[in-house]
Amino acid sequence: MNTRAPFVLKRIFVVSFLLLILLGVGMFLGLSMGSSGSGMSPVLESLFGARGPDSALMDTIIWKIRFPRVLLSALVGATLSLGGLVFQALLRNPLAEPYILGISGGSAIGAITGILLGFSRFPGVAAAAFAGSIFTLFLILVMSSGQSIIKRDSLLLSGVMVNAFCSAIIMFLVSLTRDSRLHNIIFWLMGDLSSGDMHQVGILAATVLPCFCLIFFFSSPMNLLLMGKETAQTTGVNIKAVTLILLVVTSFAVSATVSQCGLVGFVGLVMPHLLRLLFGPDHRVLVPACVLGGGAYMVFCDLLARVLPEQGEIPAGVITAMIGAPLFVFLLKRSGR
Amino acid sequence: MQFSIREGRGCAVLTLRWYQRGVLKPAVMIVLVFLLCPVLQSNARVLIDQMGREVNLPDDPQRVVSLAPNVTETVFALGQEHRLKGVTLFSNFPPQAKAIPRVGSYVQLDLERIVALRPDLCIATKDGNPKETIDRLVSLNIPVYAVDPRDLDSIMETILEIGDILDARKEATALVNRMHSRIQNINVRVEHSTTRPSVFYQIGISPIISAGTHTFINELIVLAGGRNLAHGPVPYPQFSREQVLALSPEVFIISSMSRKAIFEQVKREWSKWSGLPAVRNQKIFLVDSDILDRPTPRLVEGLERLTRLIHPELFEETK
Amino acid sequence: MNIAINIQNLNYAYGKYVVLKDVSFCVKRGDFFIIIGPNGSGKSTLMRLISGIIRSKTGQLDLFGMPMQGYNRKALARTIAFVPQMVMVEFPFTVSEVVLMGRSPHQGILGIEKREDLEIAKQAIAFTGLEHLSHRKLTQLSGGELQRVYIAKAICQEPRIMLLDEPTASLDIAHQIRVMDLMETLKEERGVTIVMVSHDVNLAAMYGQNLLLLKEGQIVSSGFPGKVLTYETLEHAYDCTLLVDDSPLGRFPRVTLVSQRVLNLPGRSKSI
Repeated sequence: MNTRAPFVLKRIFVVSFLLLILLGVGMFLGLSMGSSGSGMSPVLESLFGARGPDSALMDTIIWKIRFPRVLLSALVGATLSLGGLVFQALLRNPLAEPYILGISGGSAIGAITGILLGFSRFPGVAAAAFAGSIFTLFLILVMSSGQSIIKRDSLLLSGVMVNAFCSAIIMFLVSLTRDSRLHNIIFWLMGDLSSGDMHQVGILAATVLPCFCLIFFFSSPMNLLLMGKETAQTTGVNIKAVTLILLVVTSFAVSATVSQCGLVGFVGLVMPHLLRLLFGPDHRVLVPACVLGGGAYMVFCDLLARVLPEQGEIPAGVITAMIGAPLFVFLLKRSGR
Repeated sequence: MQFSIREGRGCAVLTLRWYQRGVLKPAVMIVLVFLLCPVLQSNARVLIDQMGREVNLPDDPQRVVSLAPNVTETVFALGQEHRLKGVTLFSNFPPQAKAIPRVGSYVQLDLERIVALRPDLCIATKDGNPKETIDRLVSLNIPVYAVDPRDLDSIMETILEIGDILDARKEATALVNRMHSRIQNINVRVEHSTTRPSVFYQIGISPIISAGTHTFINELIVLAGGRNLAHGPVPYPQFSREQVLALSPEVFIISSMSRKAIFEQVKREWSKWSGLPAVRNQKIFLVDSDILDRPTPRLVEGLERLTRLIHPELFEETK
Repeated sequence: MNIAINIQNLNYAYGKYVVLKDVSFCVKRGDFFIIIGPNGSGKSTLMRLISGIIRSKTGQLDLFGMPMQGYNRKALARTIAFVPQMVMVEFPFTVSEVVLMGRSPHQGILGIEKREDLEIAKQAIAFTGLEHLSHRKLTQLSGGELQRVYIAKAICQEPRIMLLDEPTASLDIAHQIRVMDLMETLKEERGVTIVMVSHDVNLAAMYGQNLLLLKEGQIVSSGFPGKVLTYETLEHAYDCTLLVDDSPLGRFPRVTLVSQRVLNLPGRSKSI
């Protein structure tokens, strides 16, 4: 233990710095590669002012098409990883993931309703999805308020039930639809990172970045929560208030990402575990790690999703699982658990 | 004669409604179109597309991207394929279209590939193309002309409009006239029939799906002298096997896509039900779905095919 | 303030199930106070009430003269530290990380440790004999070691009262003595009031300065061990046969359990 400087601050800085570099590299690669071709020189030229005959076109492709997408991937990866981290702490359950409290079900129903009613993707369907997930969150809080809110099992069970019920409704709605809107629904359910332009991405950033900061301030209570309900309480944590605030803020951020680009699975479940394996369970380090590392991971996955297939792209949720699962198993084996 | 005039900068485009029984003489139409649409020398003009959007069109587009397979077919039919620089994934007709670079599927367009082709015009369809992508193309200063062919009338309107924007008005008019006369031909023949057989047109395998009133297929079946058993407000209604049997179709048409084997299987299965009039009279057929489902000039061919299947007796005197 | 804990007319029920009936007693400052009684007597509930985990609507609970409601959570955590019986932890914190968490009631919102915090944690680890384990993960510790980690963490809170819920329940005899000795040292060296729930009557007899015997939510007896641990009170509370005599180690009772076989030996009277 380094008694010279505050120990954890140093760790936070080192970890954040490393992951920031990773994120930067990922974003640079993301700007350099795409379905119309790959190459780092156009990006470098664009950044450092050199002008060639193709500059205007490359500028458009890099900054108007790829950049919003890369930024969106980073935001989505960050939010979902952080969401998984928070829910794993709140529910003291390593299987928790950001959609577990009814967010996936509620937002999907909202989005599908919006699509079937013919709303445009933004703001219509996005708003409907957001409303849907906030509504289910509210429903779950009411359902589990009979028992104490800090009783994690009731929250978890309510969330699972609501999600299951929503899944059934979604299947029903999908079976009734048989037109091009069905395509939209399916893309949305699989996660679609191609959807945003800078304006929408900006709105998302403005929504989730404050949530990140707020969650960071609760990192220390989250550590204590993991030590057990009673231990946390008797060490000065107001469990009820902390649980409620973290729940609402995290759900809000996750709902915002879902309303923008649909359901991207797996990231929120595996990134916290991955980062915990690498950097330890202290949330004061893990919160920035999830933001930066989760963002970097999503940027890389999106890059592969765009560039690997010859035609079209692999859905976001598919690639995160295909990359993430083996990566996690590898790290698990190495850590010798 | 019903017509509407849409005015653009210095050019009035006359669009006309065609009645099924065709009162108008094609010659008059050609003359009127030539008289009322002087060719302009300006570099761009503003037109209003079929969705009511104002579009700044270049005069002689050299780099056109088609955002739907039916648009691709139409461009080829007008002989303007030299302008096409990009098409969507399922643009499979004519075969030469397969050589043109792909820009994603028409429900999931690849924005980057489209932009990289430096198009000076994109032609989109309302049914399928995601509005957000269209909006983003426009925000990147790429003109997008949207069409919305919903029935034979509007298909011909669409062909004329595409002909107009691609500087192929002559070809467009000729094509439309040919289509019109072929339709007329069918109309005349069908007038002579005494029966209107009931037709069941199967699209999906499982569940069984047919086509309701507001589809091309319905229009073609009616024109071909048949009675669409699936008519109704739902565009693509589902049926159970029981319901189909109860409907007792006299003609059974299975729409087949690329993998024929599966549809042959479906045909064999239905053929076991000897209670069906269609099976008894051996009137159960497989037809290529593209010519009956895509809003292109080939729809007329589909109409002819359909009429031959429903009323073979009208074609006894071989043509 | 001489009285650390003052409890008057405390009642508590889980729904309709009444657990504590009109309980009143005091704990003096610097006392080694041990609560004993059979299962279901309300010991754990009493412990939770004192630590603030649950709150009672009736009765009075004062800590150092101030009612419980008057303390905010962090102030309460600086006054009372709670050592739970045993907690399953799935997340691999290291010993030093956990012990440092005990400083949380003295820290700001992010819990960034100052030099002083690190010093205090180091001392607590030394006090509990955990130096050689400070970088070990919790999941790799034995029961006794884990218990000491929680104690070290509680010490970091610098409490005036230390609450322990059956601390020796799952420990081997060596560790049992070790923990009890730790508490005694804490009391002697730092004046911390120790309040403990125990199921081990003999340890209570040896270490406790004042005992409280509960049965079915009510106080059977309270006072110094010699007064509380008689065979009448114990047999009444525990409803079994016991032999109570003087311990050879000092002026406190010794309780011996009597098996059925011994009871039925010819030549022995039932009441000993």
